Amino acid sequence: MVTQLQGLPGLQELINSVLKIITSRTFLEIVVFPGFLNVLLSAAFLTWLERKVIARVQLRIGPLYAGMWGILQPIADGIKLLFKEMILPELADAKLLMLCALGLMMLAAAPIVAIPFGEGLVIANMDVGLVFVFAVLSLFPSVVLLIGWGSNSKYSFLGGLRSLFQQVAYEIPMWLSVLGIVMLTGTLNLTEIVRAQQKVWFVIPQILGFAVFFTAALAELERTPFDLPEAETELVMGWMTELSGAAFMVGFLAMYTKLYVMSALITTLFLGGWSGPLIVPEPLWVVLKTFLVAGVIVIIRGTFPRVRVDILLRTGWTRLLLLALANVFVTVIIIWLGFGWVWRV
Amino acid sequence: MFLALSALIVASAVFALEAKELIYGAIGLGISLIGVAGLFILLGAEYLAMFQIAVYVGAVVVLILFTIMLVRRESGRIVDEEEPTSFGRAGTFVAALVALAVGGAVILLAPISPAAPEFYRVQLQELGRSLASSYAVALVILGLVIGATVVGGLTLVKIEREEKPSGTT
Amino acid sequence: MALGSWSLLAIFELVIFITTFPLLAFGWLMGAKGKNPIRDAPFESGQTRLGEARLRYMMQYYPYLIMYVAFDVVAMFLFTWGLAFASLPFAQGYLFLVFVAILAVPLGYALYLSGRRDLW
Repeated sequence: MVTQLQGLPGLQELINSVLKIITSRTFLEIVVFPGFLNVLLSAAFLTWLERKVIARVQLRIGPLYAGMWGILQPIADGIKLLFKEMILPELADAKLLMLCALGLMMLAAAPIVAIPFGEGLVIANMDVGLVFVFAVLSLFPSVVLLIGWGSNSKYSFLGGLRSLFQQVAYEIPMWLSVLGIVMLTGTLNLTEIVRAQQKVWFVIPQILGFAVFFTAALAELERTPFDLPEAETELVMGWMTELSGAAFMVGFLAMYTKLYVMSALITTLFLGGWSGPLIVPEPLWVVLKTFLVAGVIVIIRGTFPRVRVDILLRTGWTRLLLLALANVFVTVIIIWLGFGWVWRV
Repeated sequence: MFLALSALIVASAVFALEAKELIYGAIGLGISLIGVAGLFILLGAEYLAMFQIAVYVGAVVVLILFTIMLVRRESGRIVDEEEPTSFGRAGTFVAALVALAVGGAVILLAPISPAAPEFYRVQLQELGRSLASSYAVALVILGLVIGATVVGGLTLVKIEREEKPSGTT
Repeated sequence: MALGSWSLLAIFELVIFITTFPLLAFGWLMGAKGKNPIRDAPFESGQTRLGEARLRYMMQYYPYLIMYVAFDVVAMFLFTWGLAFASLPFAQGYLFLVFVAILAVPLGYALYLSGRRDLW
């Protein structure tokens, strides 16, 4: 009996085991890089990047005072938002809204688990990585719809509906545009897809697929020229109108997390992932390319006008779908001509 | 793990049925379907699990939510018919007992080993190959069925709409 | 074993939950609380609420949702085809395209229906 009591782990052993877990590779991957910290810092960085780039596009300067070059601006914003009152309209379902904001963040960050940041540097090397990402993406419309509805406000609901239809319309072309890559590599594993691009990046033979995917990604991210759900002159903030304070911060951060993750996905699928001359370590290549893609997306936001909703939906369902199918045909021809060996893993 | 998932599925399904607000019912359904996808993962059918999420939770639940939100004029509350009578309660209790008895009998009497059964993880390429060759006819028929479903669904909704006056914009 | 991937995903999501939830809780608790009807009204740029009459105009896009369900299922089969395509003998690969072509008809019908605003 007494010996049983003495079987409790001493404090030293507890600290040891905790230390072992913290320094284990898995934990580091999940929490630091390419996991949680990477996502959080990159998303915050992207908010700053967006404000700076758009400012320059619009011939002004952007954030300047918070730290050098305004780099601490996102932190200032975050702290400010935390302390603001969470104003929620009457009859709006506060718990639902906050739960959905949380869900948005969890969904937005989820695909990073399957995206490789180097040879073997991936949190979870899923054999179905590609369709995992698509499955996660398909969950966004319902969450956004719930937020729009739960806000109990016409503007929010309308924004939610528009976002729903926009995302739904462009998901199918997005899936089909990647079909070419799947045909060339014969795998859904993202690590393998990056490995297959050692000789030629997929952006070249799949230029059509790249264009379709990029456009569809812009629509999924609700960014100009597709940011109708957020059209500031029309719907205030669309479905996010009634989120305020901390809930807004979470939703806002979720949108930029999604931007980061989608850019990383584009890098992985089309731009060769981690491949590049080894003067720079491999993961850094991924990060650089990702931020390049994100930067292009931001510049596009500052440059293009908005697309009207019915044109937007119609284009997604007709032209983009046909372009994606055309890409499949091009890939069929490529394989038929015998060039498939270039990307054989 | 299996038990936890099944508990989640059943619990959220019950919640979906009992919820007063239709929206919560739809959310419960979504959670239940995600649980089913988890079961698929446990069985090694990851591909199916992903598309289960994409199709069911991503598309079907969205459809349900959309319909609830736009078609019902009121806020979506279900009016409670009556309080469950004692007869109803007794009947439910008996039904649950019977289900438990049958399930327990099956589990206990059937020759299932305690270890996880060996399952054959389907190689996706094999799946594609067999779909195109042995099951090609089934595939074409499937295409026709899907097409018919779509056309049918659209026709149904269209007729409902035509009955209502088109006074809105 | 691939099951490990899913546990890692679960742990990752847990990490995100653990870090995001306190933010929301903090905001909920820390924010000033005040209830008056003007503050609690939904945002309408100053006007008072009028009702929910105008939301039917999105119904005309209902066919898109149905097409989405259909094509979602089709995509599942299409991906298996894509995976196996390179190793398929000649004719079988193209039968799939028949499958997709069959679905062009409902797609066209759906697009047609969503264009006619008088029906919705």
